[in-house]
Amino acid sequence: MPKNSIAIRLTNEGMFKPSFTNRTIVEGMVGLNKNLMFHVQGFMSDMDGKYRVEGGSFYTKYRFLSLDNEHSHFRGALYGRISTSKREMTSEDINLEGDNSGWQGGLVITQLIHKLALSATVGYSSTFKKQDDMLYFDPSMMFHSPTPMFMTMKMPDEMVNYSLSSGYLLLPFVYKNYNQPNFNLYFEVLGKTNPANGNSYLDLAPAVQVILNSKTRIDLGYRFQATGNMPNRYLKNMYLARVEFNFFNALSKN
Amino acid sequence: MKTTKIIFSILMLFAINKVSAQQITTVEMQVTGLTCSMCSQATEKSLRTLDYVSNVTPDLNKNLFVITFKKDKAVNFDQLNKKVKEAGFSVGKLDATVNFNQVKIDDDGQAIVGSNVYRFANAKSKVLNGPVKVSVIDKSFISNAAFKQKSLTVKFDSYASGTGTVNGKKTRIYHLSI
Repeated sequence: MPKNSIAIRLTNEGMFKPSFTNRTIVEGMVGLNKNLMFHVQGFMSDMDGKYRVEGGSFYTKYRFLSLDNEHSHFRGALYGRISTSKREMTSEDINLEGDNSGWQGGLVITQLIHKLALSATVGYSSTFKKQDDMLYFDPSMMFHSPTPMFMTMKMPDEMVNYSLSSGYLLLPFVYKNYNQPNFNLYFEVLGKTNPANGNSYLDLAPAVQVILNSKTRIDLGYRFQATGNMPNRYLKNMYLARVEFNFFNALSKN
Repeated sequence: MKTTKIIFSILMLFAINKVSAQQITTVEMQVTGLTCSMCSQATEKSLRTLDYVSNVTPDLNKNLFVITFKKDKAVNFDQLNKKVKEAGFSVGKLDATVNFNQVKIDDDGQAIVGSNVYRFANAKSKVLNGPVKVSVIDKSFISNAAFKQKSLTVKFDSYASGTGTVNGKKTRIYHLSI
């Protein structure tokens, strides 16, 4: 994020199964200098009944590497996050954007080549509270047992996450001015592994992005599980809708 | 009273002359690392925060920014560079049109214009007059690879750091090529 710039993001994500629930994230972003940026997020959802504030998160990203060339760049950044949430943990799939209290740290590498953006992330998350192991009901086990069978689920307090993301600028073919809408196609592969038991999943997330007047960003995406063996995942198959308003040099003194 | 007025007028003339002697009229800057119009807009807005910048015209396909300046305001190449960096990008090339007024490049390729010290990599023992297009070839004004290559041929000891001792004082020296 440019120095002295701020941005405001509104995100809504939701799931239709078993019944429709959704979460709204209000986010403020600020660029302190060319290498350091901060985000503050607030989470609200109806995932536990009626709509309520769940908690908040503080995120920071430090860029330690920046190699620029004409129409391309290579960036390396470290990120960290601290989150709180009032929600009861129901899955080993730690989500620090609303569902869990904890911390997270990781590395992002980004390569932009003309109209193609490639990004890779590796991170580690940990909850503040260690959860007890819990029992869960696995419907697939019905076929193996005449009586409902409950399985023990390990509720560990850590998770390794990784992702590969690609974005392609489809329009405009030729730039004329800042007011031309930009149209980007995105495709992400997101995965998590529980280091305590090896449970993993891999999600696919296609998305479209429109940039208006070179300062307003709109994202629409859907995420679904391609493979995985993590029971009771809460954020399996969900949509994401996001709008971001950028205010360049809003904090500049001159 | 009249004499002070005359002296003041002469001083003013001198001052104006001094400023116009180093008038940088236009800068054409190539910014690297840009890949979308949002990045370009952030860069342009950053450049516009400098009080001596009068206009910035971008070429979004070539990532070139043509910057014009307010009259009689001193232009600082390092500040322009810093503003690009603050937006998150880098300068790949900076060409400036400088309006010289009988500026002498000495036998070593050095010219002092107002408070700026220039060292020309490819000109010496000549007088510059009128608008001349120069390229800043200092570190972070060209690509790292180009700077490494230039370091082999540019003979100034000030080239590596961009600073040197002029009249007994450590001074920022811009290295230029015509």
